[in-house]
Amino acid sequence: MIASRLIPRSAIRTLPSRQLTLSRWSRGFASASEEKDLIIIGGGVAGYVAAIKAGQEGLKVACIEKRGTLGGTCLNVGCIPSKSLLNNSHLYHQILHDSKNRGIEVGEVKLNLETFMKAKETAVTGLTKGVEFLLKKNGAEYIKGTGSFINENEIKVELNDGGESVIRGKNILIATGSEATPFPGLTIDEQRVVTSTGAIALQKVPETMTVIGGGIIGLEMASVWSRLGAKVTVVEFLGQIGGPGMDTEISKATQRILKKQGIEFKLNTKVVSGDTSSELVKLDVDAAKGGKPESIDSEVVLVAIGRRPYTQGLGLENIGLETDERGRVIIDSEYRTKIPHIRCIGDVTFGPMLAHKAEEEAVAVVEYISKGHGHVNYGCIPSVMYTHPEVAWVGQSEQDLKAQNIPYKIGTFPFSANSRAKTNLDSEGLVKILADPETDRLLGAHIVGPGAGEMIAEATLALEYGASSEDIARTCHAHPTLAEAFKEAAMATYDKAIHF
Amino acid sequence: MASLAAACRISSRLASGRAARSFTTSSRCLAAQNFTMPALSPTMTEGNIASWKVKEGDSFSAGDVLLEIETDKATMDVEAQDEGIMMKIISQDGSKSVQVGTRIAVLADAGDDISALELPADEQLQQSAQSTSQPAAPAPREEPKSAAKPSAKPESAASGTYEHNYPLLPSVGLLVHEHGISKEDLSKIKGTGPSGRLLKGDVLAFIGAINADRPAKVSSHLSKLAHLDLSNIKVAEKKAAPAPKASEAASKAPKAAPEVEKVLVQLPISLESVVQLQRRLQDSADVSVSTATFISKATAFANSRLPAVPHAPTASELFDEVLGLGKSKATKFSQGAYVPTIPDYSFTASRRASAPKSDIIDILAGPAKKSSSSSAQRATPRLDARLAADGIHTFSLLVPKEEKARAELFLERCKLALEEVPETLI
Repeated sequence: MIASRLIPRSAIRTLPSRQLTLSRWSRGFASASEEKDLIIIGGGVAGYVAAIKAGQEGLKVACIEKRGTLGGTCLNVGCIPSKSLLNNSHLYHQILHDSKNRGIEVGEVKLNLETFMKAKETAVTGLTKGVEFLLKKNGAEYIKGTGSFINENEIKVELNDGGESVIRGKNILIATGSEATPFPGLTIDEQRVVTSTGAIALQKVPETMTVIGGGIIGLEMASVWSRLGAKVTVVEFLGQIGGPGMDTEISKATQRILKKQGIEFKLNTKVVSGDTSSELVKLDVDAAKGGKPESIDSEVVLVAIGRRPYTQGLGLENIGLETDERGRVIIDSEYRTKIPHIRCIGDVTFGPMLAHKAEEEAVAVVEYISKGHGHVNYGCIPSVMYTHPEVAWVGQSEQDLKAQNIPYKIGTFPFSANSRAKTNLDSEGLVKILADPETDRLLGAHIVGPGAGEMIAEATLALEYGASSEDIARTCHAHPTLAEAFKEAAMATYDKAIHF
Repeated sequence: MASLAAACRISSRLASGRAARSFTTSSRCLAAQNFTMPALSPTMTEGNIASWKVKEGDSFSAGDVLLEIETDKATMDVEAQDEGIMMKIISQDGSKSVQVGTRIAVLADAGDDISALELPADEQLQQSAQSTSQPAAPAPREEPKSAAKPSAKPESAASGTYEHNYPLLPSVGLLVHEHGISKEDLSKIKGTGPSGRLLKGDVLAFIGAINADRPAKVSSHLSKLAHLDLSNIKVAEKKAAPAPKASEAASKAPKAAPEVEKVLVQLPISLESVVQLQRRLQDSADVSVSTATFISKATAFANSRLPAVPHAPTASELFDEVLGLGKSKATKFSQGAYVPTIPDYSFTASRRASAPKSDIIDILAGPAKKSSSSSAQRATPRLDARLAADGIHTFSLLVPKEEKARAELFLERCKLALEEVPETLI
């Protein structure tokens, strides 16, 4: 191990000079001939994490990204910018409607949407630049351009600055991510008919907004614009909001809370067609069970019906790689495609489309390449929805367990009985824990409430280590904290809660 | 794993110390330990020894690489967990398919005089012999073996005892006290948690409070969830006629799918000035440049920096537009890949004809060598002559409708290059 630890350091030391000569050559000829240990196509969360990890492992690595900034959907147009909008719109909404009850009287409150958006862009720019620095620091080469397969070992890069180069790699990693699934019959223009990308950059607060799809993305964006003053209607085909993974009981509780905040829901409802010809976008909807058809007019329609793998222009056909019927690149348990030195991780392949799942896979795949083994526990990947209150869960839901005929016991604890939530005047929501009735081993944890997204880390750790609810309950939690609600729910699971 | 191995090792020291006290013969004898093939991954069953990094008699310290092991997946270094001396190497460099747990070397403690040490018996052989004669081997006998493997699993199936990670989970600790479970009894319980961790359910099953098979059931259910479900993958059906499409895509990269509507773009171009220039070159410098060369150079010139094909804006372009970050540089122009069709003229034929072009030696050598190369050169002028006889040729392109303007510009440029400024092409 000592030997392998020494090699990368010296490799990094020699790297800058080598890069210099390389770029000088590539100007002279169309292609650079140096072979990389690993070429990563895509600089999103999967790609850039793999690039950094590979650099740390001492591999000669290049990361190709066409966007012009690293971080992919998550950093540029997804998780990060939306969190900025969610946080600031919550602040605005609180000042407007809540601060008076807390004894803080504010004069006229005005929204400056331009500055509001600028705050978001500052956060995004800072983070993407930070990622670029990390790549540099770890000796990973960053190529701005569009990569496509020429053959099994060569990638053609159409450089963003013009020109073209060809790089060879011993290993190639596909990490091209996903794109919003368009709604058939509605053309996305990102002005009136938008995906999440356009929804984080609207130039004015619309009077009315309709969200097609009541999943996490749809509800987060619905919250933002509803708080800023839009009248928002969410149309969901399924019988519950939050997507199929959210526990039904938690989903219902969340829906009640969000409805109180002013968001209107139409569940079990299908959007039949859309019409963008008049001033307002018209959607014809049809209630799935016995309802009558109606039409909704709104200024902006957000299409948030899910995301699909993105492999366009990658040239998979040039190397004979297949996708499954949903467009996902087919892999084995070590992320290998049928060509073993070409691997694939993140949204473009199987598993939940989550940034942190991609990040785990990125580390694991580089370890598979350099060490021969890696670790991702897919049974232990948390999900968080950053509405207010937040919703977070990990492990199995009650409906999952019921469907598989697995026995379980439940412990719940409401935030209305938690001292910190009470003092914050923010006590909506509950913690729900599912455990095996005999062994008491944790099977799942579901939280709707303030700070749920942070609290789920504790549940994930417990699940990863095979803890029982008693183990959680017997671990000391600071007072007064919101996390005590989690402890009390664990107590309620194996015995009785103290404060309820 | 490292700390676990260290813990095992400490316990082995204790055990060997105890053993040494009872056997009064030679306390040093037990200081030599068997070093067995480690399992470097949970699934590894055997491996090849690539090379030993220490020689017999060498001493090493914790963290030094002892040897390199090859598995079907990778080559890995094995580090020493503690300082010591390599006493004897049993499986030499290049040993293939060594089973995990097989003795591959004998290590002595640091500072030991290895010439005075005896080689310990191969415990694996002894063990198998023992387990046939008396299945329940006593626990202390077991410990040195697990200690000798740097990354051995805490359990050892042979005797049915398990070493548990400390500290115990709070629930487990409590049950142990509540039910007065002795340490010895505790080591009989198999942990069903991650890496064999002892869980509450395991103890409950042991004391008979719940069904004995329940912990294992929950564990196997959860471990199924730990992996991506890659079963029942339905491969996407290939879209119609993938083979010709692929070849077409290769030759005409910027063009869209074959089903799009296509238009024919044509432009008559005179090759007169090219022919004139060819004659001038032939007469003045005795250099012959084929018409094919002119046409291919003109095509290359015309293909460079063509205006980009109008297309529906992509998601990221729309986003940039929304933010007012319209990119001007990369998207406006792109490299074309047009090859015009010319009647009575085929590019492949002319290329072949122009292949035995006069090389620089011929030119430098002057007329003296002409006779030798003339037969090769004759093929080219003949084709040129046939082409030139007409004077005017119709260059045509079949392109998708939206590329019409781009293709027209391409042909205009070809015309400009061939008619007005052919000399710039060479």
